[in-house]
Amino acid sequence: MLYIECPYCGLRSQNEFAYGGDGTVKRPTLNKEVSDKEWDNFVYNRKSPRGKHVELWHHISGCRQWIKVQRDTVTHEIFKTVSADKEI
Amino acid sequence: MKSQSPLDIVHEKGLNGDYEGKNESDILKINEVKNLLIVQIVKFKDSKITISNFKINGIEMSEESNMVKSINETRILWVGPNNWLVTSTDKNLLPKIKETFKETDFAVTDLSHSRAIIEIEGKNCREVLKKGCPYNFNDLKKNNCVNSIFHGITLTIDMMNDSPEKIRLFALRSFGESMHHSITDASLEFGYKNI
Repeated sequence: MLYIECPYCGLRSQNEFAYGGDGTVKRPTLNKEVSDKEWDNFVYNRKSPRGKHVELWHHISGCRQWIKVQRDTVTHEIFKTVSADKEI
Repeated sequence: MKSQSPLDIVHEKGLNGDYEGKNESDILKINEVKNLLIVQIVKFKDSKITISNFKINGIEMSEESNMVKSINETRILWVGPNNWLVTSTDKNLLPKIKETFKETDFAVTDLSHSRAIIEIEGKNCREVLKKGCPYNFNDLKKNNCVNSIFHGITLTIDMMNDSPEKIRLFALRSFGESMHHSITDASLEFGYKNI
């Protein structure tokens, strides 16, 4: 069981959260030519790193806010959590 | 036609569980709260308004997480950033809220008929909730509230009093019967009285 520090509510159980995928993916700039490869990378292609990874989580049964979590995919240790509009 | 409360069918009055040989003051009291006004207030993300200038019946809106501000039967629960739940027995409060919180800066929604509400009173309230909820209830003090999950049901928990313990639980109306079943099932070992 993971315990995630929500930046709004405090330390909460993973049961209250929904995983939201890779938190490093950036949407291609609007009104700019986008190649198929760039679009593929945005929509489908994801890294699966061993070690530190920035993820999005949704505190769905709590404050309903999206947050960014820096987590070790091997040890599951959580290093840092911030609101979704901030960078880790 | 008569309006029906969310737990009308399942909430049968009487003593249940392991109540024999116990004082009535030691067993839990479970009550369905009916006719409560529930209003959700959400401040828009791009609003420049300072929330500390706003009051409802003289009650400030808490900007501190998991806190409840109250006077008498009107309670304002913090349920998320820029998101509050107002509960009150005063039905005339809604027009006042709509007048105070202008629609240019706030979304005001009447949720009164969309929630099932259970009130538990007694010294083992926390123990009942610990059975299905991952939150550390030892941290929950009077006038704290928390959004969490109980046996898969998303709940808003309002700690109205901690001596004696009195807790109000809000779930979506459609989850009301499941919540009632889970709560009463968890209360069996302590003995409970449906009132």
